[in-house]
Order: sequence, then structure tokens, then C-alpha cells
Amino acid sequence: MKPLSKKEKTIIILLLAMITVLPFFLSSYLKHILILIFIWSAISTAWTFMGRFGMLSLGHGAVMGIGSFTTALLFNYYGLSPWIGMIIGALMAVIFFAGIGYFCFRFQVVSHYFAVISLVQTIVVFLVIIIFRNFTGGALGITLNRLGTSPLFFQFENKNYFYFIGLGYLLLTMYIWRKIDGSRLQRALTAIGDDEAAASSVGISIVKYKTIVAVISSFMTAVGAVIYSQYMMFLHPDVIASTDASLNIPFKAVLGGMYSLFGPFIGTSLVIGLEEYFRVLYGSSFIGWSMVGYGIALVIIIIFLPKGLYGTLSEKLGSKKSLKNILTPEKIESRT
Amino acid sequence: MIILLLNAFANGILYGGVLALLAFGMNLIFGVLNVIHLAYGQCVMVGLYVIYVLTVMLGIPLLLSCLIAIAVSSILGVLIHLLTVRPLLKAQLLNQLIALVGVMIVLENLALAIFGGDFLAIQLIFPVFSVGNVFIKISMLIPFVCSIVTLAFLWLFLNKTYTGLAIRAVVQDTETASLMAINTKRIYLITFVIGGILSGIAAACLAPIYSVHPHFGSAFTLTAFVIVVVGGCGNLVGGFIASFIIGIISQVGGVIFTTEIGELLVYVILMLVILFRPQGLLGVRVKA
Repeated sequence: MKPLSKKEKTIIILLLAMITVLPFFLSSYLKHILILIFIWSAISTAWTFMGRFGMLSLGHGAVMGIGSFTTALLFNYYGLSPWIGMIIGALMAVIFFAGIGYFCFRFQVVSHYFAVISLVQTIVVFLVIIIFRNFTGGALGITLNRLGTSPLFFQFENKNYFYFIGLGYLLLTMYIWRKIDGSRLQRALTAIGDDEAAASSVGISIVKYKTIVAVISSFMTAVGAVIYSQYMMFLHPDVIASTDASLNIPFKAVLGGMYSLFGPFIGTSLVIGLEEYFRVLYGSSFIGWSMVGYGIALVIIIIFLPKGLYGTLSEKLGSKKSLKNILTPEKIESRT
Repeated sequence: MIILLLNAFANGILYGGVLALLAFGMNLIFGVLNVIHLAYGQCVMVGLYVIYVLTVMLGIPLLLSCLIAIAVSSILGVLIHLLTVRPLLKAQLLNQLIALVGVMIVLENLALAIFGGDFLAIQLIFPVFSVGNVFIKISMLIPFVCSIVTLAFLWLFLNKTYTGLAIRAVVQDTETASLMAINTKRIYLITFVIGGILSGIAAACLAPIYSVHPHFGSAFTLTAFVIVVVGGCGNLVGGFIASFIIGIISQVGGVIFTTEIGELLVYVILMLVILFRPQGLLGVRVKA
């Protein structure tokens, strides 16, 4: 792992200190937004574990759906604590996602086809949730049994708890990002992303490395989904297991820049911030138009800033250090 | 039960005709540009709204408004090509996808902002006739016939004209085609125009069957893409056959189990096809 420079260290320490004291001064609405940003940017970061090596998964909606619904159903019907349910749910999500992924990697399903097959996973999970509507609540969603503040069952009435849980989870995913960034895994996957045939000819096991990173990514995503559902106390398949959900995760990552550590966080803050801003400013009187603007902005950003906001900015400012070892769009382009 | 199944089977064939029509444009665009046109269903939706506005609000005869809708859709295709696809031709796959999702969001929400979220339908009632115990809706038969006629014309266009030849060359190998003095940029544009026209025809055929609403398109985009993959990308005949397979499976599965399971079966088949026969049912495997 590359050590942080002194400047980066001070910035991170200052930021952390600020973030730690922040919840005691903020209104609960702002706290809510920050919690959402933490959780979703962590999920986005977990997505980039795979995404930045050219494995475009649109199946993280399936992962989130399996993880959170397993946890919620185990809790609601069998009274199993979400702490244990979270692990079971995440493992099931991993088995489903990385299991199908394993076959994809075996049969060399790449780029478009991998994107589609993962998107189909999301639809399958969505449909299964709808089919078993007597059990899962179907399209109406499911509300968790309320126990008040109960740390054993992962329920807290005070937002501060979730603020720190979300923050901790975000930091953990970022830590794993950095761990991967400095590891053999990253170099192997970069090589695979550049040219699969060449990578396998020098003895890199494509299937093994891709499966490992799929397991890590889907596990973290499922955990994030459980934290989100425990915070909201309500699971809706449209929000957590739909195609929209699985398209929104890469959105945020690409918007911020998926080749950099803080990219997904910046992208998520921007998306959630803008959404809330428009919602508060215009409410329902302008329904549709704000999303039209959002769509146009998205297209423009993708065309003119293909590396995302943070990626482009940090390159413009000359701090190329953090981007040096990473698979950049140019490298991908050069191989096609 | 057998009668029910027979009916579902007939329905599936007719539904397959509608799907084939939807899948044509998608198939061409994916074959030529290697871009998944995620906003394709939304283009069909725009066509449907145009038909609705012209016939119901302005009282223009249906056939004329269908023609106008086809023109509008082809213009929309050109706009999408020039504004989002062309700048991103060399970009990464994900960026292309997200830009097209952006287009999708724009079109869906424009419809929502202008027309509201209601279901709007052109009130047309077609008779139903029966062959033995099988009931066939005329409103489903029209798109079926239309799609076969369109496929025939498309086949003629692709096989008997120079432009068609050029398009097929680009499908096979873009770089070599451009070495053979084929203007690939022009071919891309033409493909999007054809795609737009096809989405307009699809809209015209769907107008009597479906009522239009802002979230009309997304389900159709995916089904169309499923057909493209199952049939083999860029393979029109394969796509044609695949659309009937998908139509029959989803309808018969819907009768035997439930509608959702019918849908589920379609996606499971897609997964199996991608895993075990990535070139599609009729496709020829090309090593990239």
C-alpha cells in the first residue's frame, strides 16, 4: 500500500475530527442526509472494487436485495438478530452474485454481456421478491418490527448511532479500497482488465482473481444494504432491489470518478445533495423538470468529464500521485 | 386447460411479432455501433405520445399521425446519435451506458412533466375472431403482420442495396470496413435513422394495444435486448425467431404459473444463453 503524504494525512485527520463532532450540532434533517450519503457512497465504493477493473456489474441491486431482504425476513419472522442476519444475508448475496459471476468468468463473459447478465440478476431477484409477496410484502415493501432502541437487534432511535455506523462502514470500505489498491489483486486485475489473454498467458488466474474481487464487493454491498434498511426500518424492492437501484450505484461512482478513492463519495454527495435541494426547493410542483435537468447534466458530465468530477479535478490540480497506479480510461482505450 | 394453453400459444406468437418489431432497431444499433441503446423503449414511448397528441388532441387521422410519428422518431434517433452517442463512441462502455440512461431519464421525465403520470390510450376497438377455440385479437394481428412486412423490407434493404451492404460490413468489422472506403460515421448515422424509423413503426403498431405512460419504455428496452442477445447480436433472422420463442415462453409460462414466473423464465433463459451460447441461438461465433 502506498503511504499517504503528509498533506493528505493532515487533511484526513482534520476532516475526521470535524465529522466526528458534527452530529452534535446538526439538525436531524441534515444528519439524515449525511447518513444517506455515508451509506450510499460506501456502497458505491464497494461497487468500484469491481467497476474500476472493467467488470461492469449492474447486479448490485440483486446483492442489496438479497442481503437486506434475508436479514429483514429472518428478523421479522424468526426474530433473528440483524447482526447475525446481516452475515447470513451477505453470504447468500455473495453465493448468488459471485456464484453466477464465477460461471461468467469461467465462460469469459465480459463487457456488454457481463453488464447484461448482472442486470438480469437484479431483475430476477426483484421478480422473486414480487412473486413471494405473501412473505416479502411484494411491491408494497416490508416494515421491520419496531423494538425501540435495542443495540442487540441493530435498532437505534437516535440518528447519531447510525451516523457513526454509516461513517465507520464508509471508512471500512475505503480502507479495503486502499488495501486492494496496493495488493497483488489490483495488479493482477489491472492486467486482466487490459488484456485477458495476455494476463492468463503469464499465469494470472483470471477466474480466481475476478471471483475474489466479486466476493469482496458483493459482501460489502450487502452489508451496506442491511445498514440502510435498519436505518430506514422499511424495505422497498423499488429502492433496494430494482434496476434503478443497480443503475444508480455506478452513476454515483462514475459521476465522482471511479478510479479514485474519494470519487464515489464526491459523486454520491453531489447526487443526493442535488436531489434533496431540488426536492425541497420545488417540491412536487415541478415534478419531472428537475429530473430532466439531472439527466441532461449527467449526459454533459459524462461527455466532457469522462473521469468524473473528482478524477478530472485532481488531475487538473496536478495531484496525479493517487491516480498513478490505477487503470485509467486511456489505458482501457488503448487496448481497444 | 389445453384450450387455455393453445390460446396462450397463439397469443405468444402474436406477442412475439410485437417484440420482433421492437428488437429490430435495437439489434441493428447493437450490431453496428456495439452500443446498447438503453433509451430505445423511451423512443417508442415518444412515438406513442406523438400519435396520441395528433389523433386524440388534434383529430388528425390515425394513419397520417402514425407517419408523422415515424418521422419524429427518426429525428429523435438522429438527435440522440449526434448529442450523446457520437461524442462517446470511443468512450468506455460504462460511460456510454450511463449517458444513454441519462437520455432515458430525460425522455421519461419530459413525458411526466408534460403529460403527467396518467395512462393515455387511443380509444380504438378492434374485433376478435376465433379459429376453433383459439381467439385471436385483430389488434395483435396488425403488429404481427407489420413486423413481418418490416422485416422483409429490412432484409431487402440490407441485402440488395449498397448502403445495406456497407452496414453489414460494419457489423462484421468496423476497421476493415473503414479501410474499404466506407464512411463509418455516415453508416452510424444511417443506422440510428433506421433505428428511429423502426421505433416509430413499433409505436404505430403498439398504439392500438397499449396505453402510454411515462414509464412505458423501460420494460420493453430490456425485453428487446433479451431478444437481441438470445437471437445473436446483429443477426436479424435470429432475433426474429428469438422474439417468438420469448413471446411464447412468457405467455405460456404466464398461463401455467403466474405472470411474474413467465417473465422470470425469460430472464433465466437469457442467462443460460449468455453463459452457454454467447453467440446467440443462430449466431456465428466471432473471436474478438
